[in-house]
Amino acid sequence: MSMLRGFLVLTVFFIAGEVLRVLLALPVSGGVIGMILLTLLLMVKGSISDSLAGASQALISVLVLLIMPGVVGVFFVADEFAGQWLAVGIALVLGTLLSVLTTLWLMRRFSGQEVDGHD
Amino acid sequence: MTELSNRFQELLELLSVSPVLAIALTFGAFFAGNRLFEGLNRPAWLPPILISSMLVSAAIAILAIDYGDYREGAQWLSVLLGPATVALGVPLYQQMHHIRALWRPIVFTLPVAATLAAVYAVLIAALMGASPEVLASLAPKSVTAPIAIGITEQLGGSVSLMMGGLLITGIMATLFVDLLARRLSITDPRILGLALGLNGHAIGTARAFELGPTAGAFASLGMGLTGIFTALILPLAFSLTGI
Repeated sequence: MSMLRGFLVLTVFFIAGEVLRVLLALPVSGGVIGMILLTLLLMVKGSISDSLAGASQALISVLVLLIMPGVVGVFFVADEFAGQWLAVGIALVLGTLLSVLTTLWLMRRFSGQEVDGHD
Repeated sequence: MTELSNRFQELLELLSVSPVLAIALTFGAFFAGNRLFEGLNRPAWLPPILISSMLVSAAIAILAIDYGDYREGAQWLSVLLGPATVALGVPLYQQMHHIRALWRPIVFTLPVAATLAAVYAVLIAALMGASPEVLASLAPKSVTAPIAIGITEQLGGSVSLMMGGLLITGIMATLFVDLLARRLSITDPRILGLALGLNGHAIGTARAFELGPTAGAFASLGMGLTGIFTALILPLAFSLTGI
């Protein structure tokens, strides 16, 4: 029962996100707006109820179930994007190599400064 | 014989009208995928979501179910995706105190790195002549799936293509962080975790938890912040550049 209460909170925040998205014509999905609102509220409150923590954990643990129908589609769109798969593959592999390299390099640079500084 | 095959046809039509078959297939593949993943000693290059999805694809191919029909039935599960996206705010709040420990690299690096993660891929694909729909599907490649679905729908990309890109990105990010961290001699679990979560979303975060709880916590933080930042910046960038 208490988990359902947490689920209600999540659903209400999602609806609030959708309301803001439509009324303010925001280009961001209602889920993300609801998530930002929830994070901000929790930070202001400084604590979280067991029911909300439980419901969130339960939903996150079955996320794979919720996104699977979309992933299955990738095996059925081969024809739709024929001739572009080489571009997709190279963009993904090379792009990820470059972005990992950039991230590690930047992080090392800035965390190195922190050690030299006051920390 | 034809009588029996007619009845079988009738049965399949009956089941494909109701969402029950699609939901049972998805649940079954979810559990079987997790089991196979454990049985194979948790290979980083073959995440459970990929195993489960291949099982569903094989099943609907064998049963001659149309993907559109499966998708329609499974929509019932997708209804939960909105509240599940909101739920990601909870671990983000719980990891937020780590920002204080490493605020400088996070504040200076994350916006740049998250932007570049999208820019590199979109630029390479654009140079190789990919269509606008493909570019919109590749842009959220480092964002965790529930948020990325929202972004792709906003940008007008293909959710299926985006999901494939997400999987490959997650696996590649895990591989490259291992490889490059060794070359750059980076051993700080906080940096490794952030890099894994930022570039490799949930797949990278799962790998970070294998490195230890600190790397896992920072990966969760990196994943959450990257998701929010990208969700806010990409639609804006796409509308400005007019892709």
